[in-house]
Amino acid sequence: MSSSRDDFGIAFRSALLQRGAAQKFSLVSLIFIAIIVFILDVYGFAFMKPIRAIINDGIYRVSLVASSPSRFLPQATESVSNLFNLKKENENLKKALEDYKQKELSVEYLTNQNKNLRKILESEESFLKKENMILSKVLIDKSSPYLKSIIINRGSKSGILKGMPVMDKDYLIGRVVETNYLSSRVLLLNDLNSRIPVTFGEEGIQGILKGNGGSKPVLEYLPEGYTVEEGIDVFTSGKDGIFLPGSPIGVTTSEGDVKLFSESSQLSFVKVDLTQQNEEAF
Amino acid sequence: MSSYKLITKIINLGPLLLLYYLSISEIDTHFENFFEILSFNIQLIIIYFWVLKRPEVLGSGHIFFAGLINDVVMGFPLGLSSLSYLIISLVATYVKNMTVNTRITTDWFTFFIAIFFSNLTFFILLSNFSDIRVSITEVSYNTFFTLIFFPFFWFLFTYYNSIITPNKNA
Repeated sequence: MSSSRDDFGIAFRSALLQRGAAQKFSLVSLIFIAIIVFILDVYGFAFMKPIRAIINDGIYRVSLVASSPSRFLPQATESVSNLFNLKKENENLKKALEDYKQKELSVEYLTNQNKNLRKILESEESFLKKENMILSKVLIDKSSPYLKSIIINRGSKSGILKGMPVMDKDYLIGRVVETNYLSSRVLLLNDLNSRIPVTFGEEGIQGILKGNGGSKPVLEYLPEGYTVEEGIDVFTSGKDGIFLPGSPIGVTTSEGDVKLFSESSQLSFVKVDLTQQNEEAF
Repeated sequence: MSSYKLITKIINLGPLLLLYYLSISEIDTHFENFFEILSFNIQLIIIYFWVLKRPEVLGSGHIFFAGLINDVVMGFPLGLSSLSYLIISLVATYVKNMTVNTRITTDWFTFFIAIFFSNLTFFILLSNFSDIRVSITEVSYNTFFTLIFFPFFWFLFTYYNSIITPNKNA
């Protein structure tokens, strides 16, 4: 019994301290360094912020270069398949044209709905009035099972601050959670850590759109007994003072969650709204 | 002769280059378009296999550094992935010291122990020491699928190992 315990101890000590022919560091020393780096970063010591920002900027650029083959390959495959699918594309375009015609018919309805929503918001600030947008390219959109975020090529140099809303076309997709000098990280609406105050429907129902890590965020803190109906457009309410009221987000589904207007895996260029804040909100 | 040596050296660097590339590039191992819960961590498999079979091709310093890069790309606190990778490396080194000859079944079982401790540390540290919230379900799915895919990569890497190992019968 004691012999097996000794064996365990010897093997464990050896695993921790031994340095093989190609090993310059022992595992225990590296584990110790990793813990120190983790503590320094988590507790946000002042000197760590610029260091982290420099490391981030550097690694994001290298990552962009390293990812170019993986970006080029699907693009090339797509181009080739597009050549062979011209007929199908033509049919799709005809269908799309039909859809647009139908949408044209519903413009009046949407205009009225928009007017109602503006009344509900009772705000002079409108999503439609904003002008101060900055266009940025998506550098990295690595799909992680844990965090739903993207890296964009604009940072504090371009005036980006934490908390600023980020749009794809006119649709809200998330907010800035980390800024470096030349790049920023955007937390997407479907991330588990995302919470956005929203409003929807003719009655101006208020709620919180909570990311669940999946493709469709869910609505929470709705009025008691309220059942979400399918096909209602969801907008930001602006109650947090961070997002402009009235930015379109998505549409409700029969399951009670929200299908986002913007597909997070298809982002190439996004717009950061600089109008709302002058100081960091976080 | 020297070019042969260079090629051999590059081939030997394969696992290390793959580890770095997976950490720094935006190649996804989360296949939500096919199956929403399908995600696995190839880095953990690479580290475990090569530390167990040929530790000289994957130095601990490189594992630590690859972890730091992964943290930056993924947006985790620095040092978290390094710690997670080093725990895998620690279990693999321990298993290597304790066993003489291993088969896929024993490697698979010990990998389960390694990945369990590694992901448990990852989850506990992230949940308790940072503002980032991750779902235990997502971590569990990731652990499960990484474990499920281990045998496939085991055969793949064993084949690669047989190519890069000179005079293995000598």
